[in-house]
Amino acid sequence: METSLPTPWQQALDKLRDWARINSPWAIHYNSGSCNGCDIEILATLTPRYDIERFGIKLQGSPRHADVLICTGPVTRQSRDRLLRIYEQMPDPKFVVAVGSCGISGGAFRGCYNIVGDISAVIPVNVYIPGCPPRPEAIIYGVVQLLETLKKPVA
Amino acid sequence: MNNLTVPPLIAFLFFPGGLFLMFGGMAYEWIDRKLVARFQNRIGPRWFQPLADVVKLLSKEEIIPQGVDRILFYLLPVLALSAALASALYVPIAGFAPAYSFKGDLVVTLYMLSVLTLCLGLAGANTPNRFALIGATRTLTQLFSYEAPFLLALLGPAIVAGTWTIGEINFYTQLHPWQMILTQPLGFVVALVGLMGKLELPPFDAPEAETEIVAGALTEYSGRGLALFRIGKNVELLIGLTLVSAFYLGGVGNPLLFVVKTVGLLFVMAVLQSLFARLRIDQTVGLWWRIGALLALLNLLVVALFRALA
Ligand code: SF4
Repeated sequence: METSLPTPWQQALDKLRDWARINSPWAIHYNSGSCNGCDIEILATLTPRYDIERFGIKLQGSPRHADVLICTGPVTRQSRDRLLRIYEQMPDPKFVVAVGSCGISGGAFRGCYNIVGDISAVIPVNVYIPGCPPRPEAIIYGVVQLLETLKKPVA
Repeated sequence: MNNLTVPPLIAFLFFPGGLFLMFGGMAYEWIDRKLVARFQNRIGPRWFQPLADVVKLLSKEEIIPQGVDRILFYLLPVLALSAALASALYVPIAGFAPAYSFKGDLVVTLYMLSVLTLCLGLAGANTPNRFALIGATRTLTQLFSYEAPFLLALLGPAIVAGTWTIGEINFYTQLHPWQMILTQPLGFVVALVGLMGKLELPPFDAPEAETEIVAGALTEYSGRGLALFRIGKNVELLIGLTLVSAFYLGGVGNPLLFVVKTVGLLFVMAVLQSLFARLRIDQTVGLWWRIGALLALLNLLVVALFRALA
């Protein structure tokens, strides 16, 4: 590891990279065991009415193309491996957004025999969006919060 | 009404080679996305969206999946982009005379434009992912269906102009601006729709149908490779629009005419994109061979007859 200060050239490049990252978050959506309520709200978020292409957000089919994993629901024992695999398949840098109270704590399913736990029990989560289910506005707000954190330099 | 010329080095690096084409291609991608968004009653992406997408992809990690041929995996995006860029040298981009031209460069250009699709197919076949494999098969199937009608459609003006050099055809159409579109409307339609098939735009996006096969041939590509393929596609969009407007819409004589004609074509393409739903791959092939190829052949026959009689 080099410890020298970044050159102006490097700083400019870093700025450019951060700008691009903030303005083009491509998302992938995974349901790790939710009741589908949250997923329907996410799909509503993608409709022309809310038009998240304004922010450059695009739903991608392939984890390899995605930057943001939008994850709903508690993690069931069956979907744990799939969730992990999807997370591993995403190229760095990657971020996780947990949608719904189930993703935060297990919600209505907390303590069920078939539940591993909330999403942070399996993969690191960057942003939580509460609600059962959260409204599309809340989901957009959460993703924007995630993008705001990218603007600040990580110490 | 002659075209302007540019010195070779500038032609190679900035205009109409590398930089201009990449940024121009992104601008056209934005216009396309914005128009489609407006047709769907959305606001649509911001003007720098394609640039942000590409920069982000370039700065991302590139994962090389297990079981691929590493050299091919690295090489194919580069090859695709460079073929697309190279074909621009023979095309009157932005109304300037082609940087290079020789007898029969029309055929070479068309083949160079197909290299991108070929690379896409190979890239899909190279990865062991089953979605990528299906995507690759569909890409190549589609290549075989639209390529012949598209070529036939572009041959019509070439035969009328009596030359197979793109620059000279462009010059000829500038002298007779209304002749091509009025005498060969069939060819124009086939060429325009063929361009949409070439670029895998809806309704011909079965090869990358995200609702069925994830992302088609590019499923396993991340970061750099994906970015290069995207730029290549944008460049091809720009070149294809230039070709069609040079051949059918009375040529591209200066930058203003170029912008007006290509954006007009893009508008029509955006309307078609939002109007039609995706065709199945067998429907695509059927459409091209049952209707497209026949129309293009008919067009060619009429042109040849007139030429023989005149
Ligand atoms: S938070 Fe509510 S809507 Fe979302 S998965 Fe849990 S129970 Fe369903």
